[in-house]
Amino acid sequence: MKRIICLICAAVLLLPCLALGEEAEEIETIVTIVSAPEQTKAERPPCFPDPADDYIPLPETENFALNKPVKAGAHTDVYVEKNVNDGKTDTYWESKGFPAEIVFDLQGSFAVSTVAVCLNPSSIWEPRIQEIAVQVSQDGETFTEVAAAEKYPFDAATGNRVRIDFKAVQAAYVKVIFTLNTSSRTGGAQAAEICVY
Amino acid sequence: MKRTMMILFLILALACFPALAQAEATRLTIYEGPKTMTSSQTAAVSVNGYELFVYDVMVNHEHIWNANTQPTTTPMTYFDFEGKVNVSINMPGLEKEVESAKVLPQAFGIVPQVQDGTVSFTLTEPGQYTVVFNDNVNKALHIFANPLETDVPDPNDPDVFYIGPGEWVMDAIALEDNQTLYLSGGAVLHSIISVANASNVRICGRGLIDGSDYPAWNQAGSYARVPIDLNHSKNVTVEGICLVNSNCWNLNSYSSKNVTIDNVKIISGRQNGDGFTFQSCTDHTVTNSFARTWDDSLVIKNYSGSTKGITFKNMQVWTDLAQSMEIGYETDKGLTLDPEISDVLFEDITVLYNFHKPVISIHNSDDAFVHDIVYRNIVVENAMMQGDNGNNKELIEMTLQNSAWSTVRDEFGSIDNVLIDGLTVINTADGKVSRSRLSGHSDDNRITNVTLRNVSILGNSITDLKAMKLSIDDYCDGITIE
Repeated sequence: MKRIICLICAAVLLLPCLALGEEAEEIETIVTIVSAPEQTKAERPPCFPDPADDYIPLPETENFALNKPVKAGAHTDVYVEKNVNDGKTDTYWESKGFPAEIVFDLQGSFAVSTVAVCLNPSSIWEPRIQEIAVQVSQDGETFTEVAAAEKYPFDAATGNRVRIDFKAVQAAYVKVIFTLNTSSRTGGAQAAEICVY
Repeated sequence: MKRTMMILFLILALACFPALAQAEATRLTIYEGPKTMTSSQTAAVSVNGYELFVYDVMVNHEHIWNANTQPTTTPMTYFDFEGKVNVSINMPGLEKEVESAKVLPQAFGIVPQVQDGTVSFTLTEPGQYTVVFNDNVNKALHIFANPLETDVPDPNDPDVFYIGPGEWVMDAIALEDNQTLYLSGGAVLHSIISVANASNVRICGRGLIDGSDYPAWNQAGSYARVPIDLNHSKNVTVEGICLVNSNCWNLNSYSSKNVTIDNVKIISGRQNGDGFTFQSCTDHTVTNSFARTWDDSLVIKNYSGSTKGITFKNMQVWTDLAQSMEIGYETDKGLTLDPEISDVLFEDITVLYNFHKPVISIHNSDDAFVHDIVYRNIVVENAMMQGDNGNNKELIEMTLQNSAWSTVRDEFGSIDNVLIDGLTVINTADGKVSRSRLSGHSDDNRITNVTLRNVSILGNSITDLKAMKLSIDDYCDGITIE
């Protein structure tokens, strides 16, 4: 009798083992499911606060250079001049050497008083200095200097942008002349956007 | 006696009872995909009954350079585990129902079961696994079965940028001294990470860096956005993450030293999508990583100064375009004095597929002294090199000639002391031994002391140059097969 009890007892305890052996697909699993947050679009990671609050402010008036005809000398690689007034700071123009002149045809005469030169605001664009002058013209041939060549610091902390203000003047063409860029990664001028206000 | 037997039975039964064997339970971590994205319609994958999120990532089956190439996609998924998992796969995105499947690398010896279009197999070790269906590489499934995470950084540490699950976008992230970026599993980050002039930096996690939001770098209006770019930095660690859909190179290091890379997975399908690419670097080690690329997979160059002490170990490579393990072509782009590339080790490398150019190549296309290069235990599962117009389809190629990428055109370098110890080729495109080529330049610029040892191609041991189909010109000395 004791032997029978003993066998029954063993069978009861061993059966689950045998059953699981047959169902090899069911592996005991301690699972951790990492859930995704509710989102409707890609967002800026919260650990990187938006630095735009510290950017150098630009005029809120019309940018007369936006998408207007633009001409420049030789450029580097694929970094053509039309990138400089396409409204996007993640594309850029890079000249091949210095001096580098870039001319905007505003397609009309406007009272202008500010030129802004912007790089990509990302901090991977290391701080650098570019020397920049501004000239204006009514006919595209004879230009008058409105801002003499001056060295401007670009820093991601302030948006990698500089603002060149001058006395308001009527202009149909604006020429921006670069004569220096201290970045170690290029031998030319660089600008993601040049805006005329 | 009977009592003793009864006790013995009880002990045996209890030992077998799985509920009491908690220590042997599989530990599994799976990651929901971002709520802004949908799982692949091509592949459905589950492990131990838990459904995984599957990403469609860019790859490219055009095995010749095309500046305007259009990539296609293939499914990829990942999870972490310790123990044992049963993987189950369905491929609704295939035109034909799955009738056969292979799990690569072949060396793992995993034989999947295929029943009613469902593929299943068991994994007991973390690793990178690729499943090819119906003997067709189209829509091959990449499964990255990571080990469980350890040493997860503290999100409250002020030097830690902690990015959790979800879809995130940011133009670029610049890491500075002593900073850590953690990219959680389940995260998809559209951004690039720059480490410039920094030290003691760590990038880790299980998430994806995804470059799909930008056109290929060479297209109008775009530019190169290297997902991880190390520049003049030291003591950098990159672990665990995936790089997908880059619009150019992937993990780039330039003039940096003491860099450790582990369990990083790269899949690329766009122009110049090189995998792990190091220029003028010292003391870099890449282990347990994966590169499927539409350009060189593992590549070493000199851009500004010499290269020394680079190790690739326990890697898997799938090269859709260009070379699998390339030294060159640029070996002195920086026009430095006495440039060298030395002390380079490729060890335990499995080339799942190479479809284009040589598997092993040293193209000393400038004037560097390239020496002390070791390739140990290289397994080429599919050597399918089609080359370019009949050229560059070698298994092994070492040259001292100018190329389109040369900076120095009037001086040449040399190659010395190269060891290939353990090279196994399992399959070739035409069932024949692929040719190899060594070509020096002149009496003063030679390839010397190249030893091949333990070479097996298509199941045959190769012990002479003729059987190896290795051509050698007059400017090579000391070329031996043992």
